Amino acid sequence: MELIINSIPLLFKGLQNTIIMSLVATLLATVLGILFAFIQIFSHFFIKAVVEVLLYLIRGVPLLVLLFMMYYSLLYSGLQVDPLIGGSVVIGVYFAAFMSEVFRGGILSIAKGQWEAGYALGLRTHQVVGSILIYQALRIIGAPFINTVIMIIKGTSLVAIIGVTELTFVGRQIVERTLEPFLIFSLVALIYIVMCYSLSLLAQHLERKIGYVN
Amino acid sequence: MSIKSDLVPEIEINNISKWFGDTKVLDCVSLSVTKGEALAVIGPSGSGKTTLLRCINFLEDFQEGTIKINGEYIGYKHTTTEKNYRKRQHERDIALMRTKVGMVFQSFNLFPHMTVLKNITLGLTKILKQSVSEANETAHQLLNRVGLAGKANMLPASLSGGQQQRVAVARALAMKPKAMLFDEVTSALDPELVAEVLDVIRELIAEGMTMIIVTHEMSFARAFSHRVAFMAEGKVLELDVPEKIFENPQNPRLISFLERFHKGYQI
Repeated sequence: MELIINSIPLLFKGLQNTIIMSLVATLLATVLGILFAFIQIFSHFFIKAVVEVLLYLIRGVPLLVLLFMMYYSLLYSGLQVDPLIGGSVVIGVYFAAFMSEVFRGGILSIAKGQWEAGYALGLRTHQVVGSILIYQALRIIGAPFINTVIMIIKGTSLVAIIGVTELTFVGRQIVERTLEPFLIFSLVALIYIVMCYSLSLLAQHLERKIGYVN
Repeated sequence: MSIKSDLVPEIEINNISKWFGDTKVLDCVSLSVTKGEALAVIGPSGSGKTTLLRCINFLEDFQEGTIKINGEYIGYKHTTTEKNYRKRQHERDIALMRTKVGMVFQSFNLFPHMTVLKNITLGLTKILKQSVSEANETAHQLLNRVGLAGKANMLPASLSGGQQQRVAVARALAMKPKAMLFDEVTSALDPELVAEVLDVIRELIAEGMTMIIVTHEMSFARAFSHRVAFMAEGKVLELDVPEKIFENPQNPRLISFLERFHKGYQI
């Protein structure tokens, strides 16, 4: 019990970095994901082809490999970048490839008739997107979006390997000192579960709030 | 039924042709609808009726010919000096032209996340830049007109098909269009709901709204339209007043179409 009480403040310090990385990566993945989705749907053939190849590459490489590539290329190039920032960016870009599919699916799932009704009124594409599409897509995007955010949060644990003192890294440090892996990692797991479950609850709440009978 | 109009062409379709891949769906179609005229378009499925209607507000592009609404080209720019000059208009200009033609779809296409009121005011506030109170007033008047005064704050899903279609008519009318396009607007409705939508269209005809009605409601086309066009295989095969089309059809294709229609389903 004493071990748990002593460990909690340390784990919470690591948790701060986990939260920062999750927020930065989620923001980046969302912005890039929307951009990639729109390029895939609306843009010129050449730009679309370039983005699609890029997305296949990102999706085809494990996150850990990308993190190592970022870490070693920074090391050899002599650039001084905080691994916390570098890690967040890599996770953000990696999950942008998945987010783009979430947004693309959401946009494409809107019935053609909705676009046409908007156009027939005299709305332009950006007005159809802003007034009609986003609200309807949100309902569809909500659950897979939160799912991806949960994957991002769990993905941040991988940056422990490149030396960022986040939740998993701190857990490992405590285990090395106390030799109580089951207890400490159970505690670490519990913190992840609380974060992810809260997000699931939030998603359910939002889904009810923006829900309408279709 | 006579047309009370000064014979100004509101919609002029001149030799338009359209292909979907290798299939020619519209074959040199020319039609002109004068101000205050209600033109019904009938014909078998796949004859190009809906495609023609969608070309008029440029929901479909077309490869040849021109369409003018109120004297202005829609979809493509043309010049008199350069022969065969044809360039797609800017999205802004196409959108502006679309505000001049109201369109009502077979499947209503109301925005399900918006209340009935918001569905009608969207175009007024976003495009015509009216204030919310002004737009709401217009919407309430229109809802009154289509017999849905108490439904302003309901979501489309809680209305019957006929009510949804009447909201769609009100939404199109809100933009004060020069002409209306009705695309098989009763085809998705239960038989008992058809009349309430047709009543609204009948009133619009009486008020002198220019319109093209693509329909399978032969008795309605016969009783209330000013002229009827019969289309098959992407062509207008016969165009005349309803009495002639239904009582003295000339084209063999129209004769067989009407025969089959009158025969209906027989065991």
